[in-house]
Amino acid sequence: MKFFSLLFFIIGIQFASMAQTPESPAIVFGPVFGDSKLQELTYYKINDIDSVQFTALKFYISGVELIHQYKTVWKEANSYHLVDAFQEQSLSLPLNVPTKLKYDRIKFNIGIDSTTSVSGAMGGDLDPTKGMYWAWQSGYINFKVEGKSNLCKTRNTEFQYHLGGYRFPYNNLQSIFMDMPASQLHVVLDLKKLITEMPLTQKHHIMSPGNEAMLMMERVINCLSIKK
Amino acid sequence: MKYRIIIVILVCILLSAFHMATEQLFVAPENWPETTYDFSKNPLTLQKVELGRKLFYDPILSKNNSISCASCHSQYSAFTHVDHDLSHGIEDRIGTRNSPTLMNLAWHKSFMWDGAINHLDVQALGPISHPDEMGEKIENVVLKLQQSKKYPALFYKAFKDSLITGEHLLKSISQFMLTLVCSNTKYDSVMRKQTQFTTQERNGYMLFQKNCGSCHTEPLFTNLEFENNGLAVDPTLNDSGRMKVTGNKKDSLKFKVPTLRNIEFSYPYMHDGRFKRLSDVLKHYTSSVLQSPTLSAHLQTPVVLSSNEKVDLTAFLLTLSDKSFLFNPKYSFSK
Ligand code: HEC
Ligand code: HEC
Repeated sequence: MKFFSLLFFIIGIQFASMAQTPESPAIVFGPVFGDSKLQELTYYKINDIDSVQFTALKFYISGVELIHQYKTVWKEANSYHLVDAFQEQSLSLPLNVPTKLKYDRIKFNIGIDSTTSVSGAMGGDLDPTKGMYWAWQSGYINFKVEGKSNLCKTRNTEFQYHLGGYRFPYNNLQSIFMDMPASQLHVVLDLKKLITEMPLTQKHHIMSPGNEAMLMMERVINCLSIKK
Repeated sequence: MKYRIIIVILVCILLSAFHMATEQLFVAPENWPETTYDFSKNPLTLQKVELGRKLFYDPILSKNNSISCASCHSQYSAFTHVDHDLSHGIEDRIGTRNSPTLMNLAWHKSFMWDGAINHLDVQALGPISHPDEMGEKIENVVLKLQQSKKYPALFYKAFKDSLITGEHLLKSISQFMLTLVCSNTKYDSVMRKQTQFTTQERNGYMLFQKNCGSCHTEPLFTNLEFENNGLAVDPTLNDSGRMKVTGNKKDSLKFKVPTLRNIEFSYPYMHDGRFKRLSDVLKHYTSSVLQSPTLSAHLQTPVVLSSNEKVDLTAFLLTLSDKSFLFNPKYSFSK
């Protein structure tokens, strides 16, 4: 009996402490189109005439580190996450940080590092069945966005950008540093910005590593911001 | 004290049993270079190798269940596609390259004629998803396997998990391919001092070392590099080889140097299967090597061979045949 009450007591404390810390540290991605939350198969207006919809938006986040006063104080183990804009639970990456750890910045990569890219078949989020591995020229797709727009004079007005590459000079892994609050970091990815900057009328497909993929990835980075 | 000794002995017996089991699955021949494949990340087990072998021979990997890996890589030709210059896939579609032999892959650094694949594990993704080969998606293959009667049990036996994943599928196919070691040719026996070359073969061996060995390097008979051996471009294919992968002009018309083991049985020859006979190949090296900015340094001085020397060189090339490989029951279709 005593044992059980002790057990309940401990569990109780656990719950209470969970309730007390409002939010445990995490990166939370919020894909949007301008002011609207991004949803699958929804048409968004680019201007009065043109519109766009998205059928896929997926990317890898890897190598998460926390930094305190310019020093790395924590590295996530096995840090590979596949974020899928249309799978709510994949948007939030909880960070299993020791309590009381102090940090002020965060570093993460968009994409998969070259060592992992040449290490053969992997499991979990890196499993090649996730649709993020190139079959005919080995390597991960770091960032994938697909959709339709009347601006694309292609079959079914489709566009597909598969951005990747791990080999010099087309290594397309991008490291991002951001200020990190004690709790959750909300990262906004605004596709409206991407669409207005990218020449949908000219370029509809990027399917292999190279200059175009590098340029497009830079545009993607420019669409990231911290939600205030 | 006694107990301790017994335990130590037991552990030793166990370890050596394990050792024996793995040794049988993959034996690196003596005096060969280090393997490239990292076996520690995918340790061979009998169950996994057997699963990989089943998959290799099973058309379930293709879209309309008609083509298996073995359709284009058959054992009796050292796992290439005999009689086809360009390989045939589903619905009789024709690819753009000749299927290479599969031997001693544990030593290879990259795969395909242009090295587009960087690791043996991810090799199978290429043919599975290529529209002209097996035309299927790996996601669907996994689903089909999961729904089949026999595979969940086989995956469970191999990986202690009946949930089939892309990783496990690919790693088991790798395991089977890693066991395809060719090291019992007459050449190998001569090197092991178990037998001797005939005079003709010995002469051919010397000619080989002088003219061919820089690229077809012993004991693998490939230096595993990309080289331009002076073939004229086939304008219907316009295959630029390694440059397709690196985008670098210096790599134009370079292809991965193929092994010459079992060359007697792996015709037709070259990345596009343009030559049917070894005599055609020798004729190429002696009289039609094309000068170009990327022609290999090893072929800058012309290869000169008299007709007698060609006969001798051919006799040597025939010592690279390995019947124990071509007819090894462990590599063939298993029921
Ligand atoms: C339709 C014919 C076809 C099928 C089916 C096929 N292959 Fe191939 N294979 C080829 C061709 C052609 C190449 C060379 C392609 C290139 O260089 O672009 C190749 C290359 C390879 C290589 C590279 C060898 C080297 O030395 O670089 C391996 C390994 C291989 N295949 C394994 C497999 C496996 C495993 C399967 C089954 C999942 C398979 N193949 C199915 C035709 C086929
Ligand atoms: C510069 C390096 C180099 C030298 C020297 C060289 N080869 Fe080759 N060899 C290659 C390359 C590269 C290929 C594949 C070319 C292709 O398919 O485009 C090849 C292909 C072959 C093939 C066809 C193999 C197959 O499976 O399709 C044979 C046979 C061959 N060489 C024999 C020889 C002989 C015999 C010699 C010496 C007279 C020789 N080679 C010298 C690089 C070389």
